[in-house]
Amino acid sequence: MDNGFRSLHPFVIFLYYVLAIAMIMLYQHPFFLTFACLLLVIFNFVLDQGKMLKKWVSMMIVLSLLFLILTPLTNHRGSHILFYLFNSAITLEALVQGLLNALTLIVILTLTITFNYCMTSDKFLFLFSKWMPKWSLLVMLSVRFVPLLNRRLMEITTVQKGKGLSVASGPLKQRIKHGLLLVQVLLTWSLEDGIQTADSMSARAYGLQKRTKYTPYKLHMNDGFMILILAGLTGTGIFGWWLGDGVLTLTPFLEPTILYGREWVFFTIYVLIIGFPLIVEGKEAIQWQYWKR
Amino acid sequence: MAILETVKVSFTYPNQLLPALNQVSFSVEPGEFIVICGPSGSGKSTLLRMVKQEIAPYGERSGEIFYNGKKLTEYEPVKIAKEIGMVFQDPENQIVMDRVFEELIFGLENIGMPTETMRTKLAEMVHFFGINHLLDKKIHLLSGGQKQIVNLASVLLMEPRILLLDEPTAQLDPVAAKDFLHMVKQMNDEFGITVLIVEHRLEEVFPLADRVFVFDHGSLKISGPPKDVIAKVWQEQYRPLFPYLPSTALLYLEHADNLQIVDIPLTVKEGRKWASQLKTHQFDTSFKKQENYNEKQNPILQVKNIYFQYEKTGKKILQSLSLTINEGEWLTIVGANGTGKSTLLKVMAGLESPQRGKLIYNGKKYSKPISTDIAYLPQNPKLLFIQDTVRGELIETAQQFHLENYEEKINCLVELLGIQSILDRHPYDVSGGEMQKSALACVLLPQPKILLLDEPTKGLDPEMKVALGKWLKSMQSRGLTIVMVTHDIEFAARFSDRSAMMFQGEITVTTSTKDFFKGNAFYTTVVNRMTRDGNIPEVVTVEEAEEKWGSQKIKN
Repeated sequence: MDNGFRSLHPFVIFLYYVLAIAMIMLYQHPFFLTFACLLLVIFNFVLDQGKMLKKWVSMMIVLSLLFLILTPLTNHRGSHILFYLFNSAITLEALVQGLLNALTLIVILTLTITFNYCMTSDKFLFLFSKWMPKWSLLVMLSVRFVPLLNRRLMEITTVQKGKGLSVASGPLKQRIKHGLLLVQVLLTWSLEDGIQTADSMSARAYGLQKRTKYTPYKLHMNDGFMILILAGLTGTGIFGWWLGDGVLTLTPFLEPTILYGREWVFFTIYVLIIGFPLIVEGKEAIQWQYWKR
Repeated sequence: MAILETVKVSFTYPNQLLPALNQVSFSVEPGEFIVICGPSGSGKSTLLRMVKQEIAPYGERSGEIFYNGKKLTEYEPVKIAKEIGMVFQDPENQIVMDRVFEELIFGLENIGMPTETMRTKLAEMVHFFGINHLLDKKIHLLSGGQKQIVNLASVLLMEPRILLLDEPTAQLDPVAAKDFLHMVKQMNDEFGITVLIVEHRLEEVFPLADRVFVFDHGSLKISGPPKDVIAKVWQEQYRPLFPYLPSTALLYLEHADNLQIVDIPLTVKEGRKWASQLKTHQFDTSFKKQENYNEKQNPILQVKNIYFQYEKTGKKILQSLSLTINEGEWLTIVGANGTGKSTLLKVMAGLESPQRGKLIYNGKKYSKPISTDIAYLPQNPKLLFIQDTVRGELIETAQQFHLENYEEKINCLVELLGIQSILDRHPYDVSGGEMQKSALACVLLPQPKILLLDEPTKGLDPEMKVALGKWLKSMQSRGLTIVMVTHDIEFAARFSDRSAMMFQGEITVTTSTKDFFKGNAFYTTVVNRMTRDGNIPEVVTVEEAEEKWGSQKIKN
């Protein structure tokens, strides 16, 4: 069984992700984004000791560097000109914009990695099956089929290697031809076997009447409470954004990065929203500690 | 009142001259355990499908099927779908969902059951089957036997009154098959579910059956209690059905002096009781010829100290495995599931390269497939076919290997295998045995020296098995070396020369097949279990008994 944040009702988890992404997109401020990044990295480590994050880290660095470099090269607005490159001005504003883009990208990607952990396919499907029962069944079938086809293709590749059909060696044209043949075998085989699956489905009364859907999750009091907190926090957060706090103004004047006065209040709210899963996990950890005594 | 009754049911597939079912009439009482047997294509599966309305084949039909006294068609479709459940042959293809839990509730969702009721039913069923530990698993991680049990549980959750099973254990290893059949029997004994099972593992199902239906060419030839059916088949010398009789019964029928129907042994226990009454003096000991399995031993393929694992951190599949294959022999490798038998064959075929160790063929090291010399037939022959017709496949294969005057070679091979009639059909559209033969034709076309077979008897009926065995034996006499991995010990005992046991990635014993099975206490044939430690010479197969005991009748 899942625990901590993952044990919450899928709706709460989904809501968190929607709201977190909204907050990240709204609060375009390096200070805010840096903290969001920090919190989400910690969250990643709490979930799986950062294993998934490590796999993605190189790609994230490359992409963000690309943004950091390309934005000043294409965007020339702003009054603080740093230097000229190939007769075009590189401005401080554009550089900051690039930084913001790069940070946003990193934060969103880090968030997405945790999404795969917390919002497993069955939870996701559960959320949407209420509105789209047919589609959700179709998706569930495909969820099984993708790895199944993959395993079958591996098997075919091994067997056909013995017949001299190889995609690993030979001229490119031949390799493509062989590859297509292997896929053809895969398709014929799978279609053939698919008939049996269809039989087994109709043998279990599929399609005779309206299906029900097993609902493995119940909305507990705790979940409702969480929804209220998240909604309240985000409401306040959006109000802050509407006031113009927490957004780094680039034009016409570049705002200093340091926060002032009221912005700290909204920063706290921002941290509470982004760090929501960490709070839940932390609470559980503390409760566990006390229980052990 | 009969729970199921058929009255003159006939069925003809479209564009077929002969009916698949011809005037079949029978009735089944509630709680009966019925075994349906007969050669492939005798209409057994068609019959089950006719009873299971939702998947009834399309074609010309006549006659009526009654369920609880009312015509099947008069019932509400959902009720009938629920009350007549069916489990199919292939464990993998019946599965719809990704996880065990979802698979189990699939049927319940289809009949519109509310969540709370599903939970209660599932809790019961999971407890009964003891599959709690599997619930959250991905189905593809389960073994074939476990998958089939999940399929059974998923059907039983809908609380059927009649359970139809279409060769449910054909794809399973013997241990898993036994477990599965006992589970079915338990459902029959404890809950009174009526069972109709089409099965080829007769040693296992005959003792369980209340009645046996024998089908041939679409009609119900013989029906009755198992012992009566056996006696009838024997007395009428109904030869095509001999391979379908359990070997315990066959041994009795061939060697018992005065045949008593009640004495026909169905289980090893009964068989031993009969065998213990046999007297030794009737056996001419001088007749016992010494088997000399010491022909010229010329190693053709050597596997030396092989280590293999699929993933760096994964389990070691093969560990310091060494094996020598002699020219012209038929070697069988047996062992439990997951001991690396199939992997060993792939390594020998050069399809997977081992991390350590050497493979030597004819004194030369190799690490890539040398298909012209070492042929490999995978467990699922479907994987081999690329072309639309068997002929196309053969020609393609010939061109692939740049064979000279291949037409002649193809014709020769086709004739040997007797597959002329299916040459222009799609390889997927032919029967299991024919597909196996077509695949054999493809891999044997380049005239290899060694043939590697992975579970060649899987899904074949007893008759086809014997035919395949005899054919392979004839190829062996033409100089082909055969290495076979199998779970089918009866087949191995009858045909192979030498047997090896695999355990934890290693070969533990290698010896001549007869000694191998005589040395094993558990992993041995039914006939051997029946005759060991008695006053009669120990034998492994019915054929050996004929040879050793003589064909004369033995006095009780």
